[in-house]
Amino acid sequence: MGEIHAAAWRSTGVKLVGCTSAHAAQSAELAERYGITAFGSYPELIKGVDLVDICTPTQLHRSLVVEAALAGRHVMCEKPLALTLPDAQAMIDSCAAAGVRLFVGMVLRFFPQYRAAKELVAQGRIGQLGVLRLKRVAYLPMKPFDNWYIDETRSGGMVLDLMIHDFDYARWVAGEVERVFARASQEGAGPVRYVQAIIRFRSGAMALVEGGWAYPPGVFRTAFDISGTDGLIEWNSDQPLPIQTYFAGEQTRAKSVGLPVAELSEDPYTSEIRHVYEAISTGAPFEVSALDALAALRISSAVRESLTTGNAVSFGPEI
Amino acid sequence: MSIRIGILSFAHVHAEAYRSNFKKIPDVELVGFSHGNADEGRHFSQEYGLRWYPEHHELLAEGLDGAVVCSENANHLELVKLAAEAKCEILCEKPIATSVTDAEAIRRVCEQNRVRFMTAFPMRFAPSTRSVRTMLKNGKLGRVLGIGGINHSEAPKRHRTWFADKQLAGGGAVMDHTVHLADLFRWFFDAEVVEVYAEVGNLFFRNDLDVDTAGLILLMLSNGVHASIDCSWSRPARYPRWGHLQMDVVGERGTVVLDAFAQHLTLYSRGAARDPGWIDFGPDPNQAMLEEFVGSIRQNREPSVTWNDGYQAVRVALAAYESAANRMPVRIYHPS
Repeated sequence: MGEIHAAAWRSTGVKLVGCTSAHAAQSAELAERYGITAFGSYPELIKGVDLVDICTPTQLHRSLVVEAALAGRHVMCEKPLALTLPDAQAMIDSCAAAGVRLFVGMVLRFFPQYRAAKELVAQGRIGQLGVLRLKRVAYLPMKPFDNWYIDETRSGGMVLDLMIHDFDYARWVAGEVERVFARASQEGAGPVRYVQAIIRFRSGAMALVEGGWAYPPGVFRTAFDISGTDGLIEWNSDQPLPIQTYFAGEQTRAKSVGLPVAELSEDPYTSEIRHVYEAISTGAPFEVSALDALAALRISSAVRESLTTGNAVSFGPEI
Repeated sequence: MSIRIGILSFAHVHAEAYRSNFKKIPDVELVGFSHGNADEGRHFSQEYGLRWYPEHHELLAEGLDGAVVCSENANHLELVKLAAEAKCEILCEKPIATSVTDAEAIRRVCEQNRVRFMTAFPMRFAPSTRSVRTMLKNGKLGRVLGIGGINHSEAPKRHRTWFADKQLAGGGAVMDHTVHLADLFRWFFDAEVVEVYAEVGNLFFRNDLDVDTAGLILLMLSNGVHASIDCSWSRPARYPRWGHLQMDVVGERGTVVLDAFAQHLTLYSRGAARDPGWIDFGPDPNQAMLEEFVGSIRQNREPSVTWNDGYQAVRVALAAYESAANRMPVRIYHPS
């Protein structure tokens, strides 16, 4: 994700200062490609910047964000905000206390099809919401070294790392959650591979959210189907793209982690980072707040709790 | 010798389709249909060129080999009883009953009269679902991680109002659609549904209908596979077709995406009820289902879909209502 963000920042007009990584070779390579400095440590990196963009494994988010806030730096943090709700709350509180801004990379909100559907719903084009179906099924992440995604203690697993996108989107479109129920499959003690979750919203609307690291390498399918009293919105990634190519004898190689981006005038990661840049430059509010990220984390946590207890998990009144 | 068939009640929309399906089977005589409502009876008789019998016993007195029960769900038991006493083999629309008590009474009355009972689950006869079952039996997908199932549709009330009548239908969308996918899941794995969780509501016709129109079900099979069913009446009236039967079967070694009615043309036609409309050109599962019913009579054998299949599917729909009312998963017991 650091590489994707670096490319996106480069297109905004900011000065990219440098990068750092627990893996020196990785940061050296990125630094060379972008003509920036590879710092030996995080404190050295944040010394001379206005904003730090955190793309580390999730379990490091809290300490890095708090350290940046204490140093007076604005923060962009990849989603999920944190592994736990107390961690996320502490990060939000630190940034508020230090008077720095915290943006959480809920990038799905910058995907044009998801944004367009949200706007249609908000305009009342499909009436009152009924049933939402949200699909996000990819393959098991296969980073060549340090595959932290599949370590639930570092990433929170598939429910937190992948399904949080649709949990956030569902709440953005349908409002606050009343209750969740979920079922999962995993291989032995291995990572959770496939999950189906039912969400009931306060409004009475309901959603089925399907998430997976379950397909063969290279296959990533996403879809939504949003129905209401006066209409229906359908989209799925199986639809043909504006161009399709067929070459003789070409083997497709899967990327280490699937990203659902194709044939847009601007990729959603760039849209997202441009938004962060503009909001910070002008002082305008972010379109997705840290509290939204916290609420999405709360839904993910409730789904994980349902998987553990086998029962529905109801939300308390204070959200 | 030709097989003589009668249709008991034209209340169900499938009755008119069955009429043309039976015409295509050699040596089958469709004797006629019985229907209590005289205006409707005369209308269907003219529309489909079938002999109308105002009373069920008049049709059954014709000496039928088989009877197809197409009444409202809550009236299945009454007509099954009449047909069984007339010693007809029975094909009954789904869901076979609106309560466990009625479903069990259906079994008893068929046993007492030594007639066979087939549940009308046409989707078992689609080549696409058969291919999926074969892949699962061959282990081609590896261990199955889960199934996401969709059987959402428009509200069927525009075809027949009783579908949205709680008394006659036994419920709304959950009663209407759950059984098809529940049966396919059982059949795919030769397994039973052991737990059901559901969210149910009337989200689409809040002011017009007094039944559930939205339902999401997440169930567990006895082999440990979890599967969902979206049974909602969530397609608008102008949707290009009634709806869908789709599922993703996600396995460790592969995934199969089923869209049973994918084979269709798109028709744009001035003045049509649906514009555009999807015109199916794929195989008609009803045809193969009725051929199985006729075949079971001719060969004097059990049909491939039984009373128990209909019964187990009804239990799932009823468990969904119970779960939604109590907001917790409901166990379904299967004494061995």
